[in-house]
Amino acid sequence: MLRFQKARWSLQKSSSEMINVYEAEAANKRKSALIIALFVVFVAIAVYVLASAFAVYSGYEPGGLGFVGLALIISGILSWGSYYFSDRIVLSISKARPADRKKDFTFYTVSENLAIAAGIPKPKLYVIEDSAPNAFATGRDPKHAVVCATTGLIDKLSRTELEGVIAHELSHIRNYDTRLQSLVAVMVGMIALLGDWFLRMRWGGRRDDRGGNIAAVILVLGLLFAILSPIIAQVIQLAISRRREFMADAGSVGLTRQPSGLIDALEKISADTEPLEAANKATAHLYIVNPFRRKTGRAVEWMSSLFNTHPPVLERIRILKEMI
Amino acid sequence: MPTILIIIAVVLLLWIISTYNFFVSSKARIRASVQEIGNQLKRQADLIPNLVESTKGYLKHEKGIFEDLTSARRAIASAVESGDVQKMANAGAKLASVLPSFKVAVEDNPELKASEVVGKLMDELRDTSDKLMYSRRIVIDLTADYNIRRVSFPASLIAGLFGFAELPGLITPQEGKHVKVSEGEMESPKVKL
Repeated sequence: MLRFQKARWSLQKSSSEMINVYEAEAANKRKSALIIALFVVFVAIAVYVLASAFAVYSGYEPGGLGFVGLALIISGILSWGSYYFSDRIVLSISKARPADRKKDFTFYTVSENLAIAAGIPKPKLYVIEDSAPNAFATGRDPKHAVVCATTGLIDKLSRTELEGVIAHELSHIRNYDTRLQSLVAVMVGMIALLGDWFLRMRWGGRRDDRGGNIAAVILVLGLLFAILSPIIAQVIQLAISRRREFMADAGSVGLTRQPSGLIDALEKISADTEPLEAANKATAHLYIVNPFRRKTGRAVEWMSSLFNTHPPVLERIRILKEMI
Repeated sequence: MPTILIIIAVVLLLWIISTYNFFVSSKARIRASVQEIGNQLKRQADLIPNLVESTKGYLKHEKGIFEDLTSARRAIASAVESGDVQKMANAGAKLASVLPSFKVAVEDNPELKASEVVGKLMDELRDTSDKLMYSRRIVIDLTADYNIRRVSFPASLIAGLFGFAELPGLITPQEGKHVKVSEGEMESPKVKL
């Protein structure tokens, strides 16, 4: 079944390069599920190896799991607040004001209308006074969702273009992307803590020779994972983030059925060179287009593409054009 | 051995329950989103005459349009009361057919076009027709999900067992002019300014 689907999909890709919006949404869901599964498997392996290494170090089995549990709890507490209060925190950082139906007529009504089509309650709407065009969505579930747009976005885009952008944000809300990213962040944080603790342990003193070779292998593996797995986990986390962007693009077209609106909007936003003053590193991943963009060489670009929260705009536009 | 059988039975039961619940909850959501169309039509019927009233001073010589708007509004009110989706859609179409002539009247009159009141009215007109379009879209989307699930295996077993029928969604004739391309439409349109 799976192989059949895969074969059909690749056939389609090679034969026509055209894809309708239903297929685009389904393909994104599949790829997203795959990459999340990869992440879960990786986390499980890393936790297993690190827990075994801790167990060898501390000399008894449950010791390793104790460390894992402690790391999970600490990472969970650290991320819980930013997840549960995601709407309020981001708004207070970004200095946003609530949108007004009269003053921000287009933004307000476009969001209202697309929320009907998406089948979610109208999110709370905010405006950031900044001439750099950008927008983001956050909130732990559709009932606590917030969509925020800059005045630059509202002024520079036509109604159709704005519809594309807002539909992208509402797709993030409908896909529970804030929740997903928070869960992933808890896992990444847990692995980072475990790795950090493992590297900080006192390596000289209290080691005995019980276990012999196997114990040594596990300790070396543990050391390897302690160094590498936080980076790998982060790379997969960012890959998930980029995949969710593609998914929200496809979802946007599913709502508006007008890829050209989002395409034009992305072109306008990415052509704008003004930096967004309200954005910082903590909120960058939320925006429709990465608010920090620089032009660099090819090689650097590939390396940095691994560490980007957003896929390149040109790639997004290319994929959207296949849906026209 | 018996434990395995019990686990399988429990999983199967959970799947049956969740599939059944999918069908009943989709049906409820589809019904709610049909009501949303009625709600939007009613909003439109209340809103437009009031807005137009405020621009009446500018549009003295377009009396015919106002009469058409009033009768379209009445048709919507009675259709919403009857609760029939098809009637609501027809009444909505009637109102929509009045709007272009109204727009033409506005476009023909530069003084009118420049006025802020009329600009506001045109914004509201676009918004209200968007609202109707999007409330129809969710009926289409939800019905498509329901109907696809209804015929896909293995959920089709549950649909058959409990007799979940195919839902029409937005009733559109499957044959007719809208799926045919006429001679005139095959020529690229020429725009004269």
